[in-house]
Amino acid sequence: MTLLSKILGAASGVAITCTAVAAQAEVLFWSTQAKPVEESQAMREQVLSAFEGGVDYQPNDPGPWLTRLQAEIQAGSGTIGVLGALHGDFSAMNPDDLVDLSDMGVMSASETFNNLAKLGTDTMQYIPWMQASYIMAANKEALQYLPEGADVDALTYDQLIAWAANVHEATGEPKFGFPAGPKGLKHRFFQGYLYPSYTNGVVRTFASDEAVTAWEKFRELWAHTNPASTNFSFLQEQLLSGDAWIVFDHTSRLAQAFNDRPDDFVAFPAPAGPTGRGFMPVLAGVAIPNTAPDMEASKALVSYMLKPETQIATLRATNFFPVVDVDLPDDLPPSVQAAGNAVAKMSASADANPGLLPAGLGDKGGDFNRVFVDAFERIVLANQDIRAVLDDQKAALAAIMEETGAPCWAPDAPSEGACPVE
Amino acid sequence: MTDAVASDLGADTRKPARFLYISAVVLLCAWVIVPIYFLLINTLSSPETVTSFPKPFIPEFDLGSLTFFAGFAGILTALKNSVVVAGLTMIMSIAIGAPAGYALSRFDFPGKGLFRLLILLTRAFPLPLLALPLAVLFIRTGLDDTAFGLALVHTTLAIPFAVLITFSLFSGIPIELEEAAWTLGCTRLTAFTKVVLPLILPGITASAIFAFVISWNEVFAAAVLTIENRTLTAFLLQNLDTSPLHLKFAGGFILVVPALIFIFAVRKYLFAMWGIANR
Repeated sequence: MTLLSKILGAASGVAITCTAVAAQAEVLFWSTQAKPVEESQAMREQVLSAFEGGVDYQPNDPGPWLTRLQAEIQAGSGTIGVLGALHGDFSAMNPDDLVDLSDMGVMSASETFNNLAKLGTDTMQYIPWMQASYIMAANKEALQYLPEGADVDALTYDQLIAWAANVHEATGEPKFGFPAGPKGLKHRFFQGYLYPSYTNGVVRTFASDEAVTAWEKFRELWAHTNPASTNFSFLQEQLLSGDAWIVFDHTSRLAQAFNDRPDDFVAFPAPAGPTGRGFMPVLAGVAIPNTAPDMEASKALVSYMLKPETQIATLRATNFFPVVDVDLPDDLPPSVQAAGNAVAKMSASADANPGLLPAGLGDKGGDFNRVFVDAFERIVLANQDIRAVLDDQKAALAAIMEETGAPCWAPDAPSEGACPVE
Repeated sequence: MTDAVASDLGADTRKPARFLYISAVVLLCAWVIVPIYFLLINTLSSPETVTSFPKPFIPEFDLGSLTFFAGFAGILTALKNSVVVAGLTMIMSIAIGAPAGYALSRFDFPGKGLFRLLILLTRAFPLPLLALPLAVLFIRTGLDDTAFGLALVHTTLAIPFAVLITFSLFSGIPIELEEAAWTLGCTRLTAFTKVVLPLILPGITASAIFAFVISWNEVFAAAVLTIENRTLTAFLLQNLDTSPLHLKFAGGFILVVPALIFIFAVRKYLFAMWGIANR
């Protein structure tokens, strides 16, 4: 019995010590971004260390991130000071749980981003924090196989397929890399790149004849794609290992390749289709939950994140670009220079067809992505009939749009009420 | 003469069996050791070597990846928290699980079968489902963000194993041994501590190891229920899957080594348990 009481004593002693330690004054920055260990280290040391009062930067998977936040909101008291997440994460939340940030006096330079940040209300629910995009990258050895007359900075999908085929033939291996892994961002390729480039829409044109052509083209490309792509989520790894020579991915998921071996790789714009060069931004924001323990400090941290020098430091740390007007210095890391140039060429191209992030879907954002991922798996991996699959998936998509009442976003033509699937 | 022939024959038939036995042992050892060895090689390699192929078989002792983690803010605190939580889990799951196992094997009470089944039910609900209400409750009661609170959750996960392992151990010890002790002047308690406990100590160690490993590997509850006092797995694991390859290997190595050291330290108790099982 004495043993048991000793154990219990020790256990409660430890518990009390831990509770005492938990009291702290730093602002807790609860984020889904800058999660890789090197990026979170850089966020702590280079971006947030200059903030007065200190910041405890904690990056998380979206699951624990949301669960913890919901728990604090339900309990009515919390430790989270500032939230950092993607637009999609915020749009899945109830705007009432977030502090209204309209009177902060800071916002992004882009009117589109500021409107997205209102989450369908009249006031800013989060402040745009940083942006990125998806680009193409290639090993320089692949450049010699470019089809005749093709300019790597102005490729079409047909040229890309021909290029991937040439490389396949020359090396005997399929060398196109696509982020179709479990954590890969393949759905963004369909929503923001393939569909806009072929159908000039995403929702309205989901099951159109042009969409069938788009999927046929993608099937052709898949024939020259490394079949292990279903396991690729960060194409920088496959670029570095040589498993893939030509890839499509998020700018920050290609960064390591450019930083490790800047002379071996090139970054270039996404290809163009019959209806232009479709591309899509990635937008992350910062917000304050109603339960923040120290509102003043939280607001100060949000303002701090939007300062030009913090934005440049964030760019170095995470490869996400500023959302406010800044003069970029010349000594940026190779990955930032490569990605920045590719995005600039993409936006400035004559046939640019910029899309927007899905908006107004609320917590159905995941289901919306699922429609595209399912279509990909059935058409490309299971080789089912394209027309049949699209007609099938169309119903699921229409149900999501009707349930949320989300109006169309670019490049779809504007709609009155819910965006129709035609 | 006939004797010699017989023994020769015996040796001949034993040879293939022996060969099979040894190759099975080698295979099983390789099964465990080769992946850990590759983990070690890649941990001690430079980033370029990690992404290159074929892999070298001798580590080049590049400490870059490990040095990165040495400078990673908060990693030592996280390691300490992991050890504290796993230790508390171990103590609590044995303190609760062993008496329950003893009661199940020695006493008959109504609903015993149902009780044994219900114990397993704590594993039937996935943690992501339980984490939200738990976190709300913890925040309200002040258990939130403490090693003790997290250890409570991990204890719940470990208890089914503790109860079932100790139940079968107690059942394996004849009640006559205890009865003999009672006739010689022991009370129920002293008969337990002097006679039964020494016999099942190895088994208790085994369930303690289970509890330790369960707590050590658990991520979701740890990520939701702790913030300042993160465990090593919550701190590292969810960041590793998006990190560059060489850091994945180094981080994986850091996660594996303490658990290996612990199991190595208590291994003699484990072997003793197998001794009992053979008897």
